[in-house]
Amino acid sequence: MNFWFAVIRQTGRNLRQTWTTQLITCLTVSLSVLIFSFFYLIYLNMLSVGNKLSDNLHLVVYLEDEPGPEMQEQLRLKITQFDQVEAIRFISREEAYHRFAQQLGDNREILTDMPRDFLPASIEVVPLRTLRSLRQVKLFSEYLATLPGSQKVQYGQQWVERFYSFIQLLSIIVLLSGSLLILTATFMVASTIRLTIFGRQEELELLKLVGATNNYIRTPFLLEGLLQGFGGALLGLIALYSLFQWTTHHISGVGFFNLFSFTFFPFSTISTIILLSILLCAVGSYASMQKFLRV
Amino acid sequence: MNKLTGPPEERVTAHHTAMIEIIKVAKSYPPNVTALADISLTIASGEMFFLIGKSGAGKTTLLKLLCNMEKPSNGLIEIAGMNIHQVTGNKLAKLRQKVGMAYQDFRLLTNRTVAENIAISMEVSYKKPQIIQDRVRNLLAQLQLEDKHDILTGDLSRGEQQRVALARAVANSPTLILVDEPTGNLDAASTEQVMDLLARCNHSGATVIVVTHDEAIYRHTRHRVMKLDNGRIAGLTQGSSSGQPLTAGDQDDAENMDKGGELP
Repeated sequence: MNFWFAVIRQTGRNLRQTWTTQLITCLTVSLSVLIFSFFYLIYLNMLSVGNKLSDNLHLVVYLEDEPGPEMQEQLRLKITQFDQVEAIRFISREEAYHRFAQQLGDNREILTDMPRDFLPASIEVVPLRTLRSLRQVKLFSEYLATLPGSQKVQYGQQWVERFYSFIQLLSIIVLLSGSLLILTATFMVASTIRLTIFGRQEELELLKLVGATNNYIRTPFLLEGLLQGFGGALLGLIALYSLFQWTTHHISGVGFFNLFSFTFFPFSTISTIILLSILLCAVGSYASMQKFLRV
Repeated sequence: MNKLTGPPEERVTAHHTAMIEIIKVAKSYPPNVTALADISLTIASGEMFFLIGKSGAGKTTLLKLLCNMEKPSNGLIEIAGMNIHQVTGNKLAKLRQKVGMAYQDFRLLTNRTVAENIAISMEVSYKKPQIIQDRVRNLLAQLQLEDKHDILTGDLSRGEQQRVALARAVANSPTLILVDEPTGNLDAASTEQVMDLLARCNHSGATVIVVTHDEAIYRHTRHRVMKLDNGRIAGLTQGSSSGQPLTAGDQDDAENMDKGGELP
């Protein structure tokens, strides 16, 4: 019988003897994983929604006068000084008139008596399609308002601000639920191991006296922690996946949500969550052993 | 000078190489309780040795020092040439695997079966499951406890628990066996089985130290008997386990000690 065989047998025996405590810990860890990964999944999906919505995001700077080529170059320079942008387009009064006429469609005759330069010239700035650009769009618009000849800056202020607040709220929730995961995984496992150590004090003392090495005594506790981390994460993720499947099945066909395709975590994220949970539980288990296991 | 209480180098006959060297060992507990004082003794490898004395004489304390459950306040204890109180970590674990101890309070895991309790001492040295199983059955047969294999030790009588504790102590074939009151709860037949088992272990080379009150098991022994009184050596018979028969004087010494008398 080698070391690992003996240790695994010892772990199995302990799990059998204290299965109720172990199960409660495992469920607590899985609940924490579920809460954290639930919000993280919403967050990730909202980011992708944000990316899709920001495809249409652009800022329009209305100008007092139509800039000449030299002025256009200067304005382009000034804009890129603030931030990198996807595109900058100059719209002349004439072009603005044509666009407007096109938008009016069959009603374009109302423009018959209007001069062709009654609309102001403008610059269309398309920011980079990143969340950072979304976050900076207000600052960007304020900056664009200071450009020489700028009259007014317009963008979908309301939805951008609301969407950004929503994303911010989500990221706070993700952080909080992440902390909850750390606390429960570490402390619950630590306290379970502590209880097990207290409950088996007599046995551990005996093991020591009959010549068990420190590793022989400690490793089963570490394995228990690892198993609780793995089992908890797996249970939590399976529950989340079931919830995800149920939700996507039930909301498909509901207007707004049809615009976006919601996705579950990629394999790399699933592995990371499981590894994180294992790591946290191992830390909890190790901390308890260091503190209470006098071997 | 009394031949049994002189300086260690004179009073002890080392049969072979020394298994245990106890040099000027003292043990006291706060505030000022002296459990052992000035104990010097050599026990040879392969020797069977009896330690007797009244309750509170320091017998169990000496055993606890020998298996490193406690440290001496003074002096040195060497087992197989190693100062056991300076050995730590894996070396200490390896040393303990070679020392089997049957405790007076048994220290059995009452929520485990008899077989599991006996197996523990072999599991820690990673013996193969088949070997463990065979050894457990063999020991239970020797102690006539075959039918208790799967019984929880908590459900056994004190006499049965005592024999299971002894089986666990000898299971891993240790080179040193320390036994604290092995026959305290046993009838004559069970006492004989226990002493036979210890004798077999001794014949196969193990050093055996038996702490006992039971004069029946040491009265006519050919082995050395040491009496402790108030933590001091009150007498030590020469014994004849090296092949020499006990002299009439040695027999008398042992009998004197049984009655709590002083050695001549």
